[in-house]
Amino acid sequence: MNLALVGINHRTAPVEIRERMNIQEDLLPAAVTDLIARDGVEEGLILSTCNRVEVVTRLRDEVDPQLLLRTFLADYHHCDLSPYEKYFYWYRREEVIRHLFRVASSLDSMILGEPQVLGQLKSAYSTARSLGALSGSLNEIVTRALAVARRVRRETAIGTTAVSVSYAAVELARKIFGSLAGKTIFVVGAGKMSELAAKHLLRSGSSTIFVSNRTYERAEELARAFHGTAIRFEDLFDHIQKADIVICSTAAPHFVIYRSQAEKWLAARKHRPMFFVDIAVPRNVEPAINELANAFVYDIDDLGQVVEANRKQREREAVWAEEIVTQEVQRTLRRLASHDLAPTIVALEDRLNQIREGEMNRLHGRLSTLTPDQREAVDALTRSIQNKILHGPITELKSVAGQPEHGALVQLIRKIFGVSE
Amino acid sequence: MPTILLWSAIVLYGAGTLLTVPSVIRRRPSLSPAALGAIGAGLLLHGASLVAHTVELDRLPITDVRSALSSFAFLATVAFFLIYLRYRIISLGLFMVPLVLLLTLISALQPGHSFDSPSFRSGWLLVHILAILLGYVGLLVTFVAAVMYLIQERELKSKRPHAFYYRLPSLEICDKLYYRSLLFGLPLLSLGLIMGFVWASRTWKGPWELDPKILAAMVTWVIYLVLFATRASGSWSGRRAAYLAIFGFALVMVTFLGISFVSGPHGYFPDLSKMP
Repeated sequence: MNLALVGINHRTAPVEIRERMNIQEDLLPAAVTDLIARDGVEEGLILSTCNRVEVVTRLRDEVDPQLLLRTFLADYHHCDLSPYEKYFYWYRREEVIRHLFRVASSLDSMILGEPQVLGQLKSAYSTARSLGALSGSLNEIVTRALAVARRVRRETAIGTTAVSVSYAAVELARKIFGSLAGKTIFVVGAGKMSELAAKHLLRSGSSTIFVSNRTYERAEELARAFHGTAIRFEDLFDHIQKADIVICSTAAPHFVIYRSQAEKWLAARKHRPMFFVDIAVPRNVEPAINELANAFVYDIDDLGQVVEANRKQREREAVWAEEIVTQEVQRTLRRLASHDLAPTIVALEDRLNQIREGEMNRLHGRLSTLTPDQREAVDALTRSIQNKILHGPITELKSVAGQPEHGALVQLIRKIFGVSE
Repeated sequence: MPTILLWSAIVLYGAGTLLTVPSVIRRRPSLSPAALGAIGAGLLLHGASLVAHTVELDRLPITDVRSALSSFAFLATVAFFLIYLRYRIISLGLFMVPLVLLLTLISALQPGHSFDSPSFRSGWLLVHILAILLGYVGLLVTFVAAVMYLIQERELKSKRPHAFYYRLPSLEICDKLYYRSLLFGLPLLSLGLIMGFVWASRTWKGPWELDPKILAAMVTWVIYLVLFATRASGSWSGRRAAYLAIFGFALVMVTFLGISFVSGPHGYFPDLSKMP
């Protein structure tokens, strides 16, 4: 099978090259149409995102994929490709399958396990599919890639940890409070970052939010956006002990919340935990509060540390995911090879049957003296010999399906039995 | 027969412990069917061994330390399944199943001193022992929840998440498990103790109040009463309570096992002359 893929991604090419090679979403159908209209192209798929451009094709056996895909890209972008050559990677046959599986499972992404690429591949697939560009083995491979991605999500924890600072805050809150439903958030200082963190927390189930800011109008504005309550800065400390989660990002050049205060709030809360997210620089929450039982203080660097640890976790999970990909590639190869096998087996059977019937016809005159019973016996005998002869090669063919030596064996058997391609 | 069944159960608990590890390491959303199957089969064989023992003795096998420990481990496994079904805490398998394994193993290795006395057929006594065993199961869960709480709290305080951060439940869940198991264990322990007092005052002569096991049990009871009071009023931090819960359970184990070897009416090597 003549499978070929050419691509560039965030690892091989800087953004200015990627944007030069990018194919915009609205132009994608035209590009796919152009690709499959080319002589020798049986199937095609184009995936173009901000991090990667991949052109995948299944070609007729005699077509040189490098030449065809180079010409396609040069024509499409109206440019000389030679300055870009070094950014491209090329894959053939099973490398294509592996690469597609890895891309779909987000193992080739800038952030391991991020979910967007799967959606992008799905939409590239439906575009190609609607244009009739996918109908055979490549169609099967891409569908398989989507299934592999789902399996990786299901069987590994690659996408479960937060890899951004604001999501890390949500994740930590969950580790402290379990469910965030019914938890109260206080936003102290209405900055961009605190807004983002609050938004994530609300989306994760927190229901009550209070906003406090030096300028009361800004607090009101943000409170409205979140269906929360604005609190005057002077009154903040009368209410803050209600907060399960405090997000701090004021511009104050000093601490706003001190250990002695937190101690009192915790006692008043009967030791229900409090989680302080301090994203202000300089910091607003006295770090010593973290030493108090049931109080947890994370500043921006601490959150960064969690993100870093989570990234390492994802790398560890990626090892399992790679194993799944390897298994699935082998499985897919075997499946594709067994499709390949059918014509060879049919041709072999035809060939032997042809010989048998030829011989039977040649001896027709001499066999005519036999009784119908005897003739039937001869017929059965020759059939049985034919099947016995076929048994060896067919078993052998099936046993190497999907293995590298499969192609050579098919050729050899065809040659020995004089079966043409 | 009971011995063979018990050892088969131990092998299965051991397999269950090992099979739990990959699910925990790989952070699967549930324990593998193999792990649950091994623990479940272990539980069934364990139950069968207790039934066989009951038939053999013609009474509940809870009046000598070997059988009582075995029954305790059996009830703890039942508790594990119930909690697992309710909370789906995968890492619970890693904490509770090895404990069950250990307890069952100790029980199997005990020389089975079986002796009979008409008093062992008293309903009061059986309720006393059963209630205390069930109470201890609750307190075992309290202990496990406290350990998980302390580890997760340390992870969160350290700000450098390690393996346990990802695998242990949230503090809230640990706390819930801690409190609910305490609310289950403490009343049963109290009931068991009261039953014991009633039975002792009717049956035993002499100063039975000074029996070392009874004294230790009273101290344990006070500890758990303190834990309950502080948790209900919110006057203690989770960490302090967790430490005391761990100490409390250590004392439970000493009461349960250690003091059994001391003489006295609870010694399982009883001075039968004291018995009626």
